[in-house]
Amino acid sequence: MSKKDTILQAATSLFSEKGFKQTSIAELSRTTGAAEGTIFYHFKNKENIFLCILEDTRNRVIAELQRYVEEGKFETGLDMIEGVCSFYFYLAGKMEEQFLLLHRRHPHELAEVNPVCREHLEAIYNSFVNGFEQAIHIGQKDGSIREMSPKRTALIIFSMVDGLVRFKTYNLYDAGALHKDFLELCRTMLQKK
Amino acid sequence: MSVITVFSGIFCKEDSVVHEIAGSTSYRLITDKTLVGDAAGLSGMAEDKIERAFSASTSVFNKFTHEKERAIAYLRLALAKTLSEDNLIISGMAGQLIPKEVTHVLRTCLIADLKFRTRVAAEEKGLSEKEAVKLIHSTDNDRAAWVNHLFGIKDPWAASLYDIVIPMDKKDVMEATEIIKTNLDSDAVKTTESSKDAVKDFLLAAKVEVALVQEGHTVDVKAKDGAVKLIINKHVLMLSRLEDELKSIVNTVPGVKSVDTKVGRDFYRTDIYRKIDLEAPSKVLLVDDEREFVQTLSERLIMREMGSAVTYDGESALDMVSKDEPEVMILDLKMPGIDGIEVLRRVKQTNPEIEVIILTGHGSEADRKVCMDLGAFAYLQKPVDIDLLSEKLKEANEKIQQKKRQKG
Repeated sequence: MSKKDTILQAATSLFSEKGFKQTSIAELSRTTGAAEGTIFYHFKNKENIFLCILEDTRNRVIAELQRYVEEGKFETGLDMIEGVCSFYFYLAGKMEEQFLLLHRRHPHELAEVNPVCREHLEAIYNSFVNGFEQAIHIGQKDGSIREMSPKRTALIIFSMVDGLVRFKTYNLYDAGALHKDFLELCRTMLQKK
Repeated sequence: MSVITVFSGIFCKEDSVVHEIAGSTSYRLITDKTLVGDAAGLSGMAEDKIERAFSASTSVFNKFTHEKERAIAYLRLALAKTLSEDNLIISGMAGQLIPKEVTHVLRTCLIADLKFRTRVAAEEKGLSEKEAVKLIHSTDNDRAAWVNHLFGIKDPWAASLYDIVIPMDKKDVMEATEIIKTNLDSDAVKTTESSKDAVKDFLLAAKVEVALVQEGHTVDVKAKDGAVKLIINKHVLMLSRLEDELKSIVNTVPGVKSVDTKVGRDFYRTDIYRKIDLEAPSKVLLVDDEREFVQTLSERLIMREMGSAVTYDGESALDMVSKDEPEVMILDLKMPGIDGIEVLRRVKQTNPEIEVIILTGHGSEADRKVCMDLGAFAYLQKPVDIDLLSEKLKEANEKIQQKKRQKG
């Protein structure tokens, strides 16, 4: 692994556990064994490290979701909704640190002043919402999903899956126990009677 | 062939003026009550809910219900429909909703000092001074909030908002009516093809706004010849989704030829450091022995987000200059002890970077020359228009900032 990747990986852990503001370059230097000068050589500043992590997360999330959707054999649009929901939970487990980071307040605050950050976050969230929207369109065509606004419904489904991941992140409840009911409820809400 | 809007504080004889004009012309009187009724009819909302849009206090639930925005959108629609007629006198708060592009509107404001208004309150309604003051303050507060909401201007009687501001404590009803009627003949407020088009644009924008607000969206809407521009003024992460949705809603409104979205000034929250208004000086020192005048002025400056301190004589002013280093000083000439000219001379010797604005009630041309020669930034006569003073303060600040940049 290159020095740059090592720094990024360590920074992802530190940022997700302690938060961006609470992580110092000195600490990053201690964790990685890279001199502070080396860190600044690869990255302009701490914010830049953060943006690189976000960009990497964005690329991975989009690529993984795309692969899943392309390979997935969904009988109906409604099945695809269930598939994309499950995939979101899967990815949240696989990329736990990145999701922890996304669920922190800092990236969203930064997005309000930093267009690059905003664009990365938008792309990450959009990839899933687009997935749901596409599934609803398909479902409405194949008759598995009732008439409703695909755009708005996609946002609401996303707010629910993302909410369940937050349940797990902050240990509000054993989110795993709700998983099955969650998928059933989604079906009931969307399906054509 | 025009429209008159009359905005006023209460107890400024506004009803008499409005009825006098309506009675002596063929103009039809439209009040807030008329428009609230129309808006209720168009929206199906209750009249009292629509009326609440004029109140300074907003329901805590508004964040979710958007009731205020819905009420305003329907008021705009009601007003835009009304404006298809000419020869109207629109009295009250709603008239402020007419966009400035509609030029055949004579915008008038009637206001008076507190003394006059409490007297009128006693004559017309038999209110005690205390009751009157309370009522005046609360209704003025509503008007200030309304104007601030629409224009981001804190002073509801600001001259920049109107064609004429009539001081009702100095003019009687007949004189005020005459002033308005004379101005009505001016070419500037005649109905023209372009101002008629502006009314059509206003109507289309109002229809679009209503379509959006029905779907829960509040954005600024501008329309020109069927081309609609939506300005998104709050931060939204999934912006392109929002833009798509807004466009798809607006495209269904009849008369819309194209839709364009853009993010407004407030989309990106500016850095906290940039939040401070760089246009206005942040430290203003007021030096004047007329205590009441200087207190009021200080309050008005604070309302315009300029920090100001007050001293009542030359000695304390010089003391303050050495301690607190103000950026701008507003100085009266006639004061006990060290007079204004002497203060100016010493300040310019010790702290030449401080810009001094002379504000005097009894200055002569000779005084002006002395002050300007000593390096005063401006020489203004009392009573001063707060807008002019603000303008001068901004100019002084520009000069200061420029000097700082050159140094830095």
